[in-house]
Formats: sequence, structure tokens, C-alpha cells
Amino acid sequence: MQYGQSKGGGSSPARSLIRKRSFVTMGTEYPNRPTFPSRPAATPFGVPQSTTPFQSSRPVVGSDASAFRPAPPTSSPAMSSSGPMVGPGISTFRPMPPGTNDAGRPPPTATPPYGPTVSDPFPRFPSPQFPSTAQVPPPRTSMPGQPVVAAPVRPVSGPFSTPPGAHYPQIQPPTVPMGSPPQGANTMQPSPHVHQGPMQSQFTAARATTQPSSPLAGSAYPAARPGFQSGFPGYISQQPSGFAQAPPRQSVPFPSQPGGYVPPVPAASSPYLSQQGGFAPPPPLTSQRPGSMPPTSAMQGLVEDFSSFSIGSVPGSFDSGLDSKVLPRPIDVDLERNVLSEMYPMNCSSRFLRLTTSGIPNSQSLASRWHLSLGAVVCPLAEAPDGEEVPVVNFAPTGIIRCRRCRTYVNPYVTFTDSGRKWRCNICALLNEVPGEYFAHLDASGRRVDLDQRPELTKGSVEFIAPAEYMVRPPMPPLYFFLIDVSLTAVRSGMLEVLAQTIKNSLDSLPGFPRTQIGFITYDSTSSLTQPQMMVMSDLEDVFVPLPDDLLVNLSESRTVVDAFLDSLPSMFQDNVNVESAFGPALKTAFMVMNQLGGKLLIFQSSLPSLGVGRLKLRGDDLRVYGTDKEHTLRVPEDPFYKQMAADFTKYQIAVNVYAFSDKYTDIATIGTLAKYTGGQVYYYPSFQASIHKDRLRHELTRDLTREIAWESVMRIRCGKGVRFTTYHGNFMLRSTDLIALPAVDCDKAYAMQLSLEETLLTSQTVFFQIALLVSWNTFLTIKRYTSSSGERRIRVHTAAAPVVSDLGEMYRLSDTGAIISLFTRLAIEKTLTSKLEEARNSIQLRIVKALREYRNLHAVQHRVAGRMIYPESLKYLPLYGLALCKTTALRGGYADAQLDERCAAGYTMMALPVKRLLKLLYPKLIRIDEYLLKKPSSPEESKDILKGVPLTSESLDPQGLYLYDDGFRFVIWFGRMLSPNMIQSLLGENFAADFSKVSLQELDNEMSRELMGLLKRQRENDRSYYQLCHLVRQGLDSASTPTSPAKCIKVMTRFLYVQSFMVYRVPIPVEVGTCCHLQLWMVYSMSKSFHGRNLLLVLIDTIDCCAYLNFLVTLVEELIFSPHVGIISYTWTSHALRCGSRKIVLVLSAAPFAWGEQHERNAN
Amino acid sequence: MGDLLSWLFSFFLLVAVLEHYNCNYLLQLMCLADLEYDYVNPYDSASRINRVVVPEFALQGALCFLHLVTGHWLMFLICLPYLYYNIKVYTDRCHLVDVTEIFNQLPWDKKVRLYKLGYLVILLAFSIFWMVWSIVDE
Repeated sequence: MQYGQSKGGGSSPARSLIRKRSFVTMGTEYPNRPTFPSRPAATPFGVPQSTTPFQSSRPVVGSDASAFRPAPPTSSPAMSSSGPMVGPGISTFRPMPPGTNDAGRPPPTATPPYGPTVSDPFPRFPSPQFPSTAQVPPPRTSMPGQPVVAAPVRPVSGPFSTPPGAHYPQIQPPTVPMGSPPQGANTMQPSPHVHQGPMQSQFTAARATTQPSSPLAGSAYPAARPGFQSGFPGYISQQPSGFAQAPPRQSVPFPSQPGGYVPPVPAASSPYLSQQGGFAPPPPLTSQRPGSMPPTSAMQGLVEDFSSFSIGSVPGSFDSGLDSKVLPRPIDVDLERNVLSEMYPMNCSSRFLRLTTSGIPNSQSLASRWHLSLGAVVCPLAEAPDGEEVPVVNFAPTGIIRCRRCRTYVNPYVTFTDSGRKWRCNICALLNEVPGEYFAHLDASGRRVDLDQRPELTKGSVEFIAPAEYMVRPPMPPLYFFLIDVSLTAVRSGMLEVLAQTIKNSLDSLPGFPRTQIGFITYDSTSSLTQPQMMVMSDLEDVFVPLPDDLLVNLSESRTVVDAFLDSLPSMFQDNVNVESAFGPALKTAFMVMNQLGGKLLIFQSSLPSLGVGRLKLRGDDLRVYGTDKEHTLRVPEDPFYKQMAADFTKYQIAVNVYAFSDKYTDIATIGTLAKYTGGQVYYYPSFQASIHKDRLRHELTRDLTREIAWESVMRIRCGKGVRFTTYHGNFMLRSTDLIALPAVDCDKAYAMQLSLEETLLTSQTVFFQIALLVSWNTFLTIKRYTSSSGERRIRVHTAAAPVVSDLGEMYRLSDTGAIISLFTRLAIEKTLTSKLEEARNSIQLRIVKALREYRNLHAVQHRVAGRMIYPESLKYLPLYGLALCKTTALRGGYADAQLDERCAAGYTMMALPVKRLLKLLYPKLIRIDEYLLKKPSSPEESKDILKGVPLTSESLDPQGLYLYDDGFRFVIWFGRMLSPNMIQSLLGENFAADFSKVSLQELDNEMSRELMGLLKRQRENDRSYYQLCHLVRQGLDSASTPTSPAKCIKVMTRFLYVQSFMVYRVPIPVEVGTCCHLQLWMVYSMSKSFHGRNLLLVLIDTIDCCAYLNFLVTLVEELIFSPHVGIISYTWTSHALRCGSRKIVLVLSAAPFAWGEQHERNAN
Repeated sequence: MGDLLSWLFSFFLLVAVLEHYNCNYLLQLMCLADLEYDYVNPYDSASRINRVVVPEFALQGALCFLHLVTGHWLMFLICLPYLYYNIKVYTDRCHLVDVTEIFNQLPWDKKVRLYKLGYLVILLAFSIFWMVWSIVDE
């Protein structure tokens, strides 16, 4: 970091304040997260506008304060505010967070007095988060490394901001001149602010000047300073400096400031708080990076600040003023954490098992302070990359080795004793005999000599071949049964044709080749059993299956019949005008046919079941019901028939996949239960049109038919003493309290579960988890063929260990955002079945807020950073994902935001999604592709470089660009308004002027189009479980520009594509900004109650089309107005913002302005 | 004399309900406990429990009605909350155990059944008291 020498620095704050009518936006800073090194965006430079105004030099403190600003003033505006200087000795500098505007990092020009470490803060970032303690620099020096310092926003400090509307210009006499005696020369300490983003820095500067309390500050750390003068610059520094140097200025800036900002400084508060609000005080001598928390110093965690304010530019001007780049975003980041794999290398991969926190609390009281749910997400058959396949072990002669008492399978964590004759179970600690055939001697270190030939003793994941006693019956041949709706809508939409074709094409690759059985039923107002000969059943009340055995055929023997049937299927019902659907009776029939063998039932439903048993009413999506206590009834299954059927299906090992096609209401909520309780999936194609959705149906059905399926599975998770899995969430049925029945399971399914502690105190050091999945493989195409064709029973076992911890901070450190979010998703979706959407969303937010508050309490007490939101490195994306979750189809908004069927289908889908795919759905990938298309990079590295993800904000959408948005379920190609017409033409051909919503992308005969299609193809290959259908959107034309009424606008948008929700929610408000503001407002608000709110909020929000958001704000503001703890200086929004003409709301909220005034007076006295 | 008869009758009815409990209701509880400890599968458990739910509701309704027509207002009022609960559950169509969600509902179901049992025991005590009272009164 560099320090500005100029004394003029004092002025900087003032200027910054003045700059434009500023409004404050909240941003989150991550001052010191070493982890972020990669974020390019964060650099201050990125924001050109802001830079200039701010340059003010920092006051220099140290005697020789070398000039710190490495960067020329202009270049790093942010710096200006920040750069306090430090005395030569000052080790304390905290490097700024990389992401934020560290001026320091860029030009290494200034590396003056400091030890090498100091000078260059950045190097640390690259370093691993959990550095060993060794890394910690010697006491003094260590400081620099810490990111801790900068809290972007000090709630307290700024006395004055006034929003344009209401000003409270305050000029405070600087009560105390800065330099406190003890500090001497050093008084000018490096300002902590350094970290802050440009915007923020402005604030701080302003504050510094104004704050009266400075003297206190100085005194507060007297001890430290003498030693290291600058040692803790972060704490104190700025303000004093500001005062001393530029007292006059103080007055100036304020009046000018438009943005109302008022930080009351409570006299009482310790200097730290008030001034540095943002900073975490470093531990006296050494501090480590946040990530690395050594148990001893909890400090590091503080580094992460949650909320910060920044000043932006003029409302209405183009720059949004909010440096959205400093917000943390999961772009190109792999959230899989491997903390444990270092600690326990023999654990199974995190693909299979992820714990919400790998630190298991050692007592119930500790567990109750952990608000993020103890739990796990299990994906037992996750696809492993080549070379990491799960080894197969055959214990044929001995039988599988298991603990006598708890039935745990032998695993890498068991210990052998008694020279190899006994082994101790790691879960229940029982000593078991080692069977003779399995005996091996132990070497000197107590390891078995044959360890390297025993994968089950070295690998966390293995598959045992199960002997006969693990089978209730021999593995059944795979059975595929199709239940096809042939009523009018199905025929009209072209679904039948695509379906018949796809099935026919997949016949060759159906698993279990020589034994595969297949059967079909079609139904409209009667059911027909169609194979090999067609029978029509007209009695719906009492279905009777004449020849159950003849309704299934062996595929290899009757291939010609099946082919002929599939060929004739579309034409057979071509003229069908029947609109009724006897779904229930058809289902019963299918059950009667299938219950001997079990298997897979695929249902193709395109209208509401209207005849016979299981007929459903048009419950409709009633607007009036939303918001009332009855709201959830729309989302729960209406007719118990379906639940009962689902239970029966599971009992007889039948898995159901539902494909729904209707454009009208089909009550997915009810029909979907069939899939939910049989371990299946719901595929929903609203308004299916063969011309548009053909590819998607073809791809997904093919995958469904041909992927490897484990049949007749049951899964159980065992865990060590004192811990118990209590609830399970996902698509399956529980067969007993802890046994999950899965008639068919594949690699695309994940299950979540919650843990609880049974004992008040855990005495063990480690808790072990073992997932055992007993399956029948029919599908082992490669291995299988030569062993037998009859299928094989196997047990897949995943074992993992997790440490027991006694410290809450450690739990936070070991937490896993992906697993937490997955679990929350399932909990929230289940909650929508018993309460309102609103409550489901609130419950997520509440948990997150509670967790962060708990974390704050954990550290704030020690370090007196009250009133700031801080959070651990491991959870930095949690708020973002939490908010994204609230905006997914399943949970968002109310009546108008998603159709009921769509919502329910999304709910069923999300219940089964593995972690990675879920995270992608929540925070989709956005890449800019026009450059790629033009340049045609030759090497993969180069193209990878060009196709880097960009943040999902409106700012990243350049009107001249072409973007691809990919959430794993669909692609949206976004055409900027100013994209060159040539490009559009070459991509779309003659369709370029048409309505984009009706155009489908096709490969044209030119380079660029081929390039694009190739790109899409490669993207699809990354994620094969769904087919991403391409939607085209043109900026301004298809979305925002036709807002006759906001409601209509939203409806139109959400109807068309999901992207539009991206447009509605995400674009106008830069997503994270929007989301973070939302959450931050909320958090600040909820915190303000305990904090006697000295919060300052200044929020600018662009409100195009985001009525829901607007409502929230209005409510929030109203609440704040009436809250005793928080005062509002002013809030304005133009009335036409409400009318939807324009787009900005300026909110200026601040806490207790008058109280501040009083305190100030007191101080003066 | 008529009073005594009506008490006797209501007593037997109560005993019938309780009997129901003893044989079936306790059985329901046992079923649930078994289920928890994995002695029985959810399908059997649910069908066993569901078989006795409606008869139990009917008996309880009859008892209430009897109290009403014989003019035992106090007893009727005491029965009323129980009746209301049953009717509400019945009209919400959640009186039957849902086999797919049985494990999630297990704790709640057990609790409800225990409370009901306690309630019935109290009712029985009351009616015995009234019966004895009316005998003595004779």
C-alpha cells in the first residue's frame, strides 16, 4: 500500500463528499478477503468516473511518511481517501482487500518503509486461505497481511449526509484535534480506509474529518502505538489525521453533499467503533488472514465485512454509482470445499457427500447457536470423472465384513488390533473378529501389510458385490413402461410424434440388453393396452387386465413389433378428437401390469386427468388465495389417490417419471407426487410445441432412458454415536425411520438430510458417516456384459469423517455454502407446502440473518465492532445465494410471478438437484460471446479466456454485446440494442427483424453461425442432464420497452422465459446489488433493533419493472419510519418512479440523526 | 331411573370407545412406536391405523349425541372440544395417516393420540362419578 504524503489529503474527504449529488449505495466490501484475488472487477480502476473526484491526498503522518500512493492520484481515486500514511515502523497496514479498490496493489511503486510484507499487501491474497500458523509474520510485520482493517462503512461516523431532498448540513466543530500526544508523530496513521472501494472511501474521508471523537481514538490504543506507532493504523488513524490537517474543510464538504448521510457518533462509543466502524481491530500482535483462523485468534473472521456504503454518482446519470464489482460473486469459482480432504484424505469425494459444516458441534448448546442447520447433501451415484471410478470389491468367500453391532461396513477408518485378528468399528467402537480369509498381518506401524491391495481400506468410496443374502429376489430385468396420453392436445402439439421417434431411437441403448422388457398404454377417455396387440378398456371403474404377462414384451425378442407400434403410434391417433383423459384408471392398469417386476414408468401427460378414479378438479390458480392462509393448499396434492398410488409404486419397486406438456393447468402439484415418492423426476414443458421443444424432449427423454440406473435401491446413512439423522428431504419415500427407498436412482439425484445431536456432550474427537446404498445394476454395460446378463446386486459405500469442534468459529470456518443452500432449498420448498411463499422466503432469510448475527456476536464482543455485519470467508456467497433462492421460480413473488404448474414443477425438480447444478441454477453463468464469435480463437485456452463469466448485473450487459446466459436448464441469448446488424443477420438469417420470441436459432451457412452453434453445443456437453433450449432476447424490445402496465409487463416477461425473470429482477437492479441491497437493508434493519441503530443507509435503486421490489422498499421504509431505533433523514422517490416512467428511487435512511447532534454537543462540552 | 339408564348407557359407550382405544387406539400407538423402531413397515402400519380411525370418530360422535339427548349438558360440553377436533380433522381430510409422510408426522401423531387417550380417561372418570351419583341418588 502506498501512502499519500500530501497534507492536502485532508481535503480529499471534503471533495469526495461534494462530488456530484451523491447517493449512497450499499455495497459489500470484502476488504480483506484474500480469497478473492481473482476478482478483477474489484480494482478501483474499473470505475473511471468515480476516480477523479476523490483524489485527495492523504495526510501524511509518519515523520518520513513516504508517499504511499503508489498510484498516481488519478489512477486510483479510491486510494486517495484511503491512504493515510504510516510511520516508518508501521507494520500495521492492512492490505486492502484485493477486490476493493486497493490502490496499493497496482503500482508497486511505493514500497517504502515497510518491510517487504507491508509494502505489498497483495501477495498474500494468493496464499491459501488457511495458511499454517507458520505463515504468520513476526508480530509487527504480520499486520500488513491482515485484511482486517477496512470496513467500508462506518455507520457511525458521517455526520452529515443529507440527501438532496433533505439536508442536514451539519458542521461540526472538530472537537479534538487529532494528534494525541502519545501518538506523536505517528498520529497520522495510515487510514484503514484504504481498503474501501472508491465510493466508500469518500465517505470515510468525510467522516474522518467530521468526527469529533478522534481524540478518543487516539487514546484508545495508546499502548499499541508507541510500540508500533502505526501498528494499528487501522483503528484510529484516519480521523485524527483528517482533523488535524484539514479542520477547515470539514465544514465545507457537508453542505455540499447531496447524499444524506448521517452518522451519529455516539460519544460513548469507543473510538474504534465510531470511527472505524469498518475495521476489525487487529489482534494485538499477530493476525492472520481471515481464512486461516487459528483457534487462538478469532479475529480473522472479522475481516470480512458485510455491509459497506459507498457513494455513487448522480442519480439519473449513467453510472450507477455503485461499484457492483466489489461484491462477491461466485463466478468461475468452484465452491466445492476440500477442507476435509486434506484433514481426512480417505474421505469420500465431496461429489458424494457434503456436510453443511464439517465441524460437528460437541454439545447441544453449541449446536443451538448454529443457525444454518446441521445436515448433509448426498448424491450417492454422482458421476465420477474418468480415472476416479469407484472400485469394486468382491468378498465372495468371506462375505462382506461388517460390524456385528451397528452393521457398519469395513472402511478406511477401522483400526486393526491384536496383530490383525480383530478390528475396531469406527462408528460404534466394538471389537470384531477378522474372518480367517480376511486376515493379514500388521506391520510395525500397525498397518495391514496388504493395505494397498484393499481398496476398501484406503478409499472412501467402494462398491461391494452383494452375496445372495442381500437380495430379497434376484435382480429383475429392467422394465420400461410408457403411459401415453393420446388426447387431442397431445396429438395437436406434435408430442406423440417426437415421443415415438425418440423412444424408437433409444431402444438400442436401453440398459440390460437381452432382458429388457417394455410395454405401452395409451389413454384418452378409455385406456388402451397396446402391445403386442391392442386392447381397449372402456370400463374405468373396475379395470381388468386380461393378460398381464402379454402386455410386456421382451424387447430383444419382439423388437419388430415394438418398432412397428412406435411407427404407427402417431398416425393411429391422428384423428383423435377426444379431450378427456382417464389418467387414474390407466395408472392403475400400469400398476397391475408392472407389480410383478417393478421397473420404470414414464408418464406422458398433456391434460388434466378428467375421468375415472383420480380425476382432478380445475383448482386453478386463484389470485385471491395468495397471501391468505389457504395459499399453500394450491401446492399440495389434492387427491389422496395419487399419494396412495405413489406409495404402492414404491412398495413394488416402480419408479415414476412424469412428463407434462399441457399449456393449461394440469395440476402438477398432484401428479408430481407420483414422482416425488418414487424417487423420480418431473419434466415440465409448458405449452409444448414440437417445433420449438422437440430437441429438449428428445434429449431429456433419451437421457432418462439410457443413463445408468440403479434399481431397487435402498439407502441408509449411519453415523457415529451421539449424532443422528433426523429428517430427510428429497424425492423418495422413507421405508423406515432411516431407510430411504429408491426404486430407481441415477447420477442426477441428490438427497438432503438433517442431523441432530442425541447427547448433550460429544466425547469423541471425530464423527464418522457412512452412506450405504444397496442397488441392483442392470446397466453395467461395460463390465456387465461378460460377467452375466442377469444383473447384479451391489452395495455402494461412502465413508467420511468429520472433526468434532468446540468452537463456533471453527464451525463457521468449516461450513459449506453449497450444502447449506441445497438444504435450505429443500426446506423452503417443503415449507411452501404448509405455509405461504412469503413465509418460506422469510425463513431462509431469517436463518441467514441469525447466523450472521451470531457470527458477529462471536467476534464483536471481543473486538468491539458492534453494528457491523461481518461474516466468515466460507460463507461469503451465502447471502447472495439465499436471495437468489428467494427469486427462483419455486419461491418467488406471488400469483403473477410464476404459473402454479411451473412453480410446482420447479419445486419438484429442485428437490432432487445435486449441489453443483443447483448453484448454477441460482446463480447462472453469463458470458459475453460476440468477441468470441468475431475472433474465433484457435486454442482452447484462448477461448476460455475470452469466455470468462461476467457478473449478472445490468452493468455488465453492454448494449453492443451479445451474451449467453446459462442456468443449466436453458440458454438465453441476449442481443444488445447496439449490436452490429451484420452479426444479427448472420446469426439469424432473414429472421433478424422478427419478434425474437418466435425465432428459433438454427445453424446457417456462415462461419459465425456455425461458431455459435458449436459453442452452444460445447456448453451443453458440460451439463448433460438437461437440455438447454435456446431463447433469444433483444434488449429493449422484448422486455422492458413495452411497459403498458407493470403487472402486464411482468406477466409477459415471466411467461416467456425465465430469463425474463432475469430481466425483471436482475437486470434493472444489478442483480447482486439488488439482492444485496435487499438483504442488507433487511439485515441492517434487523440489526438496528439491537444496535440502537446508528445505521446509515443511502440506497439508490433502479426500479424499472420491479414492482415487487418496490413494495418491499415501501414496506421497509414505513417500518423504519416507525421504528424507535432508527431515524430517517430523508427518503425520496419521485412519484413517477412509482408510475413506472422513471427508474430511480433514492432512499436516504439514517439512524437517529438528532441523537447524534446531542452527543456531539456533549462531546464539545 | 331413566337417568341411571342413560348414564349406564353412556358409560358403556365410553368403555366401548376406550375399548376401542385399548384394542385399537393403543394399538395405533403401538403401531407408531413399532414403526419408529422399525418393527413394522409403514404400509401395514398405516393401513392398520387407518382402519380404526373412522369407527372411533363415529363412536365419539354417538357419545356426544347421547349426552345431548339425555340432557347431560355438562358432559356434552366436555365432549365438545374433542368432537370439534375430530370434525375438523375429518373435514380437512387429514384424519387418515399418510403413508408417504408417516415418518415426518410420527411425533405429532403420537402426541395427538396420547392426548386423546388422556381426555377419554378423564371423561370416563366423570361418567363413572355421575353414574355412581345417580345410583346413590336413586
